[in-house]
This record gives sequence, structure tokens and C-alpha cells, in this order.
Amino acid sequence: MTEIAKVEGLRKSFGKFQALNDVSLTVEAGEVVGFIGPNGAGKSTTIRILLGVLKRDGGEAEIFGKDVWKDSFEIHKRISYVPGDVTLWGNLTGGEIIDLFIKLHGGGDKQKRDYLIQRFELDPKKKAKGYSKGNRQKVGLIAALSVESDFYIFDEPTSGLDPLMEAIFQEEVKKLKEAGKSILLSSHVLSEVEALADKVVIIRQGKIVEAGSLDQLRHLTRSTITLATKGDVAEIATVDGVFDFEQKENQATFSAENKALDAILMKASQLGVKKFEAVPPTLEDLFMRHYKGE
Amino acid sequence: MNEKFARWELLFLQNLKRDWKKMIVWILGIGLFAAGFVPAFEEIAKGQGLVGMYEIMKNPAMISMVGTTPILTASDYTIGAMYAQEMLLFCGLFAMIVSILHIVSHTRKEEELGLTELVRSFQIGRQANSLAAIVQVIFVNLILALFIPVTMISFSVETITVSGSLLFGLSVGMAGLIGAGIALLMAQIMPTSSGATGASLGIVGLLYIIRAVTDVSNADLSLMNPMGWTYLTNPFTENNWLPLLFGLIFTVILIIIGFALEGARDMGSGYLPEREGRATAKRSLLSVRGLLIKINKGTIISWLLGFVVMGVAYGSIYGDMQVFIESNELIEQMFSAEGVSMEASFTGTIMMVMIGLVSILPITIVNKLYTAENRLYLSQIYATKVTRRELYWTSVSLAIFTGLVGILLSVVGLGGTAMIVMDGSRSITLTDFLAAGFNFLPSVLFFISLAALALGWAPRLGKAVHGYLVFSFMLNYFSGIIDLPEWFLKTSIKSWIPHMPTEDFDLLIFVIIAVISITLMILGSIGYRRRDLQEGA
Repeated sequence: MTEIAKVEGLRKSFGKFQALNDVSLTVEAGEVVGFIGPNGAGKSTTIRILLGVLKRDGGEAEIFGKDVWKDSFEIHKRISYVPGDVTLWGNLTGGEIIDLFIKLHGGGDKQKRDYLIQRFELDPKKKAKGYSKGNRQKVGLIAALSVESDFYIFDEPTSGLDPLMEAIFQEEVKKLKEAGKSILLSSHVLSEVEALADKVVIIRQGKIVEAGSLDQLRHLTRSTITLATKGDVAEIATVDGVFDFEQKENQATFSAENKALDAILMKASQLGVKKFEAVPPTLEDLFMRHYKGE
Repeated sequence: MNEKFARWELLFLQNLKRDWKKMIVWILGIGLFAAGFVPAFEEIAKGQGLVGMYEIMKNPAMISMVGTTPILTASDYTIGAMYAQEMLLFCGLFAMIVSILHIVSHTRKEEELGLTELVRSFQIGRQANSLAAIVQVIFVNLILALFIPVTMISFSVETITVSGSLLFGLSVGMAGLIGAGIALLMAQIMPTSSGATGASLGIVGLLYIIRAVTDVSNADLSLMNPMGWTYLTNPFTENNWLPLLFGLIFTVILIIIGFALEGARDMGSGYLPEREGRATAKRSLLSVRGLLIKINKGTIISWLLGFVVMGVAYGSIYGDMQVFIESNELIEQMFSAEGVSMEASFTGTIMMVMIGLVSILPITIVNKLYTAENRLYLSQIYATKVTRRELYWTSVSLAIFTGLVGILLSVVGLGGTAMIVMDGSRSITLTDFLAAGFNFLPSVLFFISLAALALGWAPRLGKAVHGYLVFSFMLNYFSGIIDLPEWFLKTSIKSWIPHMPTEDFDLLIFVIIAVISITLMILGSIGYRRRDLQEGA
């Protein structure tokens, strides 16, 4: 696989504040990488460095094998970007701004533009100052999706969009993925990342704390298990790797490390299983674990 | 008070708490400017100073700028009379402008920012916010109106009387209130807050220019002008309190209309409708240049129009100037002795004033690129193949272009009108006007280059360039009235440039300042390409 974007040991400070402190991530060709983390963790800073808007203090950052700062002009010909807070000139209409962005990118597909305006149900004749947050976001999305690029950077692209529009966005991203495009998707909508991403990178306080495929990440964490037995279920609590054990009569709910599953099942079968449910960790569980800063 | 204004007093107290620093600067700034020059004027009045100044101030050009005096003979001209004539109009103008900016920023601007929406969701009357803002402005202007006379009297100058000082202070305060009334009305009518500010300032500018014309031709007509209800109180001479009454009635009417209009409109919209826009962009928009022109279009057109009006207004004075010279032997001798015509001398001075004003527009255009950067307007554009170099140089070129057009329009307005009204005895040609105007081009370039340098290295300082422009404008303005040390005068870029047509063109200075300016622009471009963009910072 070829690397589309590669970031290694990235550092950036604003005055005394260390915004990024060793950030590394890669986006392979045809891959959708979910980029998640709490507010202020450094997602947008990382993305702005990738766009050549901010200059890094240290580390490497390349897109298409080119330096993001020095060769930003070459890189920008083949990328699309949607910020989390699309801000527009109030006295231009949505349609005018979309056309302008497409043109400044180097031209795009007129039909695709019209198709997307229709899909996202945007009124292009309205002056931008009359748009709600969601509608401004649509303008940014339509402009970015109407042009031909190899690498798409989305920074919380669906903030302010209603669930219907969010679904449309997801469909469009899936189309890009099928066409073999690479995508870096920063988002707070974890279900969105779960549905789209091949790989997830979690950032916290300027550091990457976890990276890998969803399966890999799940493996590192605990599943939630509900178990009811004929015998006294309390015995399960003694198994190594069982946490947060809560018992209600013969039924218990607890979280368990994946490596403890075998021991739990052995013990449970001795007690006589009446009910067994295992829920794998959601991305939200993963996220919360890091969010709370264990 | 009825429920529309419920709890306005809460908001009023909140405003005082929020704005106390701003209010102190406001009162001290205008107050000290209005009252603090008394000792300087005492200096001027020494010896034959008053008589000389009286003759100078009879010049229609001066009258058009600073206003009239009711004094008919030089011997009756006192320090008080001189002070009122030279200072009152300008102080009133400042008070008016600050009040306008304050009212719009506390009414329409807050609606646009979404603050009003939040405030109105509480048990607060729908129009309480506007009332609180108006009461605040009345409060500030009242303090200002009292602070000025107290300061003036403290200098204990004989002709600066207590009642005159009080009238002077109240006239400045009244100017502030008239400004507030105009702003409140425009805040209801215009579709946006920037539109409201622009329209209010435009009205003030128009009133100022109209009074320049009527002051010179027939001073009684200026009494029909709201602007006249401030400085035509003529403190220290006639002490006419009546115009203040006109001003008060006028303001009350404006405020009543303003409140009535506000009561009937939706939050966030004005009475002038917004037109439906285009679904697709015109070809002319589809480039960085097209975009920058489009977003600056309103500003550029209104300023350029202003330049033409300004040129024409000052140009119309040339006709009266001849009458004035012919009627006064002393002045005639004065000018003929120096070997320069009065027209030429006036042209040199007025050109400096006009080109100073022309410089405001290009600085604004350069600064706007940082505003756009800061407000995240450019986020998506940075990610396209548009380079920073292109954004920077397109902005700077547009600024230079508007500077050139600005000079051309104001000079042609001035010279063209002068040619028409001076018919016959022409001591000065249109070419002289053009030469005198473009002679100041390097100063415009210099101001642009300062703004560009700030944009590249310390964009927050962009606003300070306007400050430097005001400073150098003041310096050159007062250098005619007060003796200032040479080194201090030279801190203004325009002091380096000879005043054509009375002085000779200096090619070396012209080229040096132009080269310095271009160098600064290039330095700015290096900075702009290197620095972090400050989005939302």
C-alpha cells in the first residue's frame, strides 16, 4: 500500500502552550482514517499543519510524499478540505461561494455540483448570512465533494447537520471510498466514524494515545457481559480480568477483558448458564476510556 | 415604563460595568482634545497673533474646514472666539462618530452576534437593550459635556468664560446625541450592522460637506443643518443656546422614530429588503481578484464617491476665494509678497488633507485580508491551489489601485470644479492639480506598505496603521496653527513631501519614499508566507 499522508513526531506550540507533542499517523491509499479526541486535543491543529496553514515546530508531515509546508501548492491541487466551522462572506450567496471554491480548486464537475445541491437540499440563491450553521456546512461540503481529489480532509464536517443530511454525507463518503480515495475524518459523531473508518486514531492532549483498526482497538478493551446462572453467580467476580461486577439475584453485569473470556465461560458452565450476552465495546466506550484519562 | 422596555435599567448597569474602560477612554479622549488646547491657543494669541489668525480664518478654505465665527472685526477676535471657531466643529464631529459606533455596536451588532437572542429569552423587554444603549450614550455625553467646561475653566483664561465653556461642552455633548439618534434610526432601517454604521457615517459626512458649502456661501443656511446645531452655538462670542434646543428636539424625534421602527421589525432584519441572490457565480467572481473586489466593492464605491464629493466641495471654494482676496488688501499683499497665489497655497494644503483621507481606503483593504483570515473565511480557500503569495499581492495591488483611483477622482473633482468656478482668471491649471495630487502618491504607498508589513509579521497591528494616519494628519493639520519642532513634524510621512504647487517637486524624495514602500511590501510578503495563519485567534 502507498502512503497518502504520513505524520511523524509532529510538534507544535502556541507560545507556552504545547498543542501537539509527538503526533504520528498515516493514511494509506484507499483508506478512511477516523481521527477522534476531545475538544482541544489537537485534531484541528494537526489538520491545519497538514494543510500548510500552520508551520510545525518539529517532526515530519508529508502528503503524497511531499512536504506539507514547502510543497503545499502542489499538494493542494489534489486535496479537498471541509472545516468544522464553515464561515462565509455574508453578502455572497451559497451558489456563488460554491462556484468560487470549485474554481479556486482548479475546476470541478458542474453536474455533480447541481446534484449535490439537490441532495443536500441547499437553497443556493440565499445570501450566506441567512444560512444556519448546518446550511453553511453544506456549502463547504458541496464545494469539497464537487471537485476531483485524491485525498479528502474532513474536520468535523457534519457539525450542525441534521441526521438525514448526516446520512447523505456518509453515503457520499462511502462512494469516495469505493472510488479508492483516501480520507482523514475528524469527528465527534462516533457512530459516523464507526460506520466509515477502516482505522481509528485517538488523540489526547497533543499525543496519539491509540491507533489501529476498530477490531484491534476493541481487542484492547473490555466487553460488557450480562450473565445469569443457576448456581451463585458471585463466583464469577473472583475470575482474573473481571471488573465492575454488579449482581442482582442470580444475574450479574460486568466488564471483562477479552483474555479472561475463556476462564469466565469455564466457570459459568460449571454454574449452569441461563443467559449470556456479550456486547463488544463501542467506539464510545473506547473514547470514554481515554477521555476520562485513565 | 411599559413592558417593551422592562428591566432596561439592568442592562444599562450591565453596560456600564462592561464598558467602563471604553467610557473612560471615550470621555478623556474627546474631553482632553476638546479642552486641552487652551494653553496652546494662548500662545498663538500673543502679540499680533489674534489679528493674524483672524485674517487667516477669514479664508473660505479654513471656514469650509473648521466653521465660521460671528466676529466681524479683527479687534473683537478673542482667544475664546478663536478656540470655538477652530475646535468646536471637530470635537462635535468626533463625539458624533464615537456615539454612532457605540450605538450600532450595542444594538444591531449584538443582534448579529446572537447576543440579543439570548438576552431577550429572559424577562427583559424587547426594546430594553436599545433603551439601555441610548441612556448610556446620553450618560456618557452628559459627563463629557461637564468634563470639558471644568477642564477649560481650570486654565483660567479671561475670555474662556464659565457660561461659554459650559455651552461649548454641551454643544459637543449635543453632537454626540445627534449622532446617537442617527445611528439608532439607521440601525433599524439598514439590512446589516455594517450597513447601519456606513449609512450613519455617510450622513454625518454629507452634513459636514453641506455645511462647508453653506458656511462659505451663506452661513445662515448652515442653521438649517443638524450639524450646525452644534458649532453654531458660537460659545464665547454670541453664546447662542437656541441651536441646542433644535438639536435636542431633532434627537428626540429621531429616537422616537427609531424606537417605533424597532418595535415593528423582526430581530436581525432591517426595513430595506435583502435581494435574492444568484444561484451561480458570475465569471468575474471566480478568482482571488474577483473575490477581493466583490467583498470590498461596497466599501470601494462609497469611498470613491466620497472622494469625488469631497473634491467638488473643496473645489467650489475657489470661486469665493477670489472674491475674498479682492475684498481684502492685506491678504492680497500677503500672498503677492510671497510670490505665490492664494489658490496655489490653498491647493497645497487641501491636497494634503484630501490625500490623507484617500489613504484610509487602501489601508482598510489590506487590513481586510487579516479580518477574513481571523474570521475563518479563508479556511477552505487555503486548501485550494491559491497561494499565500497570490492572496497577499492581490490585496496589496487592489489597495494600490484604489489609492491611484482615489487620488485621481478627488483631484479631478477638486481641480475640475475649481476650473469651472474660477472662470477667467486662472492662476492654476488642471495639470497643476494633478501634479500636486500625485506628488503625494508615495505617502499613500507608504501607508499601504505599513499595513502590508503588519499583515505579514504582526497582523494585529494593522489597525494601528489607521492610528498613525490620524496622527500624521493631526500633525500636519496643527502644524499650520501651532509651532511644532521640526523632528516631531518629520514623524509624519507627509512632512517629507513638498507641498506642490507652492513648493517644487522633489524627484529624489518621491523615488526614495516609493522605493522604501515597495521594500516594506516585499518584506511583508515574506512574513505572510512564513507565519502561522491566525484562524479564530
